[in-house]
Amino acid sequence: MADPADVQAREVNFVAEVLIETQNLTKLYGRGSSVIRALDGVDLSINQGEFVAVVGASGSGKSTLMNMLGGLDKPDGGDIAIAGQSLSHMSKRALAHFRNETIGFVFQQFQLLPKKSALTNVRLPMQYRRPRLDNESERARGSLERVGLADRTHHKPTELSGGQQQRVAIARALVGEPNLLLADEPTGALDSKTSTDVMELLVELNQQGITIVLITHDKEVADYAGRVITMRDGKIVEDHKQGTPA
Amino acid sequence: MRMPGLTTLKLAMGSLLERPFRTVLTMLGIVIGVAAVFAMLSIGEGSRQKILENIDSVEARTISIFPNWANGRASQRRAWRPFTEQDVLDIQAIPGVEAATGDLSAEYSIVSETSDWRANVIGVDPQYLKTNDLRIQRGDPITETEIERRETVAVIGQSVVRSLFRGQDPMGERIKIQNIPFKVIGIVAETDAQNWRGQDSNNFVLIPRPTGRARLFGDDRLVRNQVRSIRIVGEDQSALSRIEREIDFIMRRSRGLTADEAPDFRIFNFSANRQAVAETQRTLSLLLATMGAVSLIVGGVGVMNIMLVSVTERTREIGLRMAIGARGSDILGQFLTEALLLSIISGLLGLGLGYAVSQVSLGTDEIEMVFSTRIALLSFGSALLVGVVFGFLPAQRASRLNPIEALRHE
Repeated sequence: MADPADVQAREVNFVAEVLIETQNLTKLYGRGSSVIRALDGVDLSINQGEFVAVVGASGSGKSTLMNMLGGLDKPDGGDIAIAGQSLSHMSKRALAHFRNETIGFVFQQFQLLPKKSALTNVRLPMQYRRPRLDNESERARGSLERVGLADRTHHKPTELSGGQQQRVAIARALVGEPNLLLADEPTGALDSKTSTDVMELLVELNQQGITIVLITHDKEVADYAGRVITMRDGKIVEDHKQGTPA
Repeated sequence: MRMPGLTTLKLAMGSLLERPFRTVLTMLGIVIGVAAVFAMLSIGEGSRQKILENIDSVEARTISIFPNWANGRASQRRAWRPFTEQDVLDIQAIPGVEAATGDLSAEYSIVSETSDWRANVIGVDPQYLKTNDLRIQRGDPITETEIERRETVAVIGQSVVRSLFRGQDPMGERIKIQNIPFKVIGIVAETDAQNWRGQDSNNFVLIPRPTGRARLFGDDRLVRNQVRSIRIVGEDQSALSRIEREIDFIMRRSRGLTADEAPDFRIFNFSANRQAVAETQRTLSLLLATMGAVSLIVGGVGVMNIMLVSVTERTREIGLRMAIGARGSDILGQFLTEALLLSIISGLLGLGLGYAVSQVSLGTDEIEMVFSTRIALLSFGSALLVGVVFGFLPAQRASRLNPIEALRHE
């Protein structure tokens, strides 16, 4: 079995392939005079293998953008395409399939099933994969190994530290070999030491070729990314590349 | 089902086992409902089969007639008039009558060499055994010969054998009734017939009716040729109502009553009586089945309630599952399976409970129950139906959650 990370890394090295493309992406909340433009004509292009941080104050539209990228919400205007698939006109079913195959989610609150073991939690996305993948247990174990938790497979979330829980969640996001890892304030519930560990893990995964988009309001967290997009009032106000930290 | 069934089933089982106490409480309503429906359908089936299997029995073909009893004051238009031997002969002559017998009896003390015992002494004719569905176990019945000769012979029932002879062989023994010796010539086999007065139906001594009339019952007000009541057995059940009409005609004629006068006798049609009893039992079982259905509905509402709670509690889990690729139909399937599993287990427990309870009540009651696969499946099916119907709303609610909001749910 070819390591998908290798394949992706090669693609990054030779062709800067576009993974995410949005055009005039618009999302409105409310109606009439009190309508709020959560996204106001966002044009964005993210290449395969990038590590992008989306920053902005709350209400800036970064969460809405995140939901759009994850196929959890549909735009009211414009278009969004991920890995060559346009999401704007996909059915709910197709979106569910898309999320399962293409996206790996990491949430601020981890969102682990509290009474299930780490292994069971990591296996969860494969339950909804069609056709089913082979060697589900092996894949789940491999994924936990990748985040450094090979020795915690049978621990329940309550028996793990916050940092370990988030790493289980990252392993769960990786298990389906997604094109894109979406992290929503992944360190928001962690202390600074643990945050550093988790961010270093994400950087490491990115170096293995995984495309990561994370949203945060924390400048220090954003500094781990190779590209920082700043949002305000539903618009991108700044977009700059930066060198990866030492 | 898109998600392989086994995974869904494991998922549902797991979530039920996570909250065992709540699961048991939720199941209770359905368990009781299914048990009730099962037991009551069994009673209904029992009464139905009772009618069917007895349709050709002697009892189901029996008609009895009784004269009206005179009250102390002469308020009745006619005084009490007993039937006569001639009435019995006339009724025996009706086409379709298999046998008919008159009853002339009184309770006496029966005395043997060593003991004494009170029993019903019945003066019989040769058709008595047939009309009462009795069978000679040993010895001989009372025939025309003994009756014509007014012999002092007796045929005794099992209770008399047990209580008076206590293990000794009664055949050929002498017993005394009112100091008159009778020779035991036969023993009647045990009968389980219901006595309409609730008396022991095996506690009797049969003697030739003329013998009894001349030597025992003579002291009574009964005069020659009279009998207390007449019992008639028809050849088959369909002829009974015609026989009943002919009896009415004959009796009116013999008693000088016109067709529009009120009769001074009563006709009891056992099969009609029995059908009425069965009808009552059916109504009862229908009523109880309705109660079972109500219990099922209440149980179903309980299932719905607990499933709604479960959906609310697991909103974030549902949101997560949807985010990582579960479709609405997967979530629907998951919760519907959970509700179904709940009702399947409840249904099985209910069948068990229904059977256990009916076994206990069978020991104490006259209620006839018949268990069949059809009834079990019907009761079990009602539980499944409840699971699907009441599980659907919560499952649908879960499947329609917005994953973004569900993930934010506290």
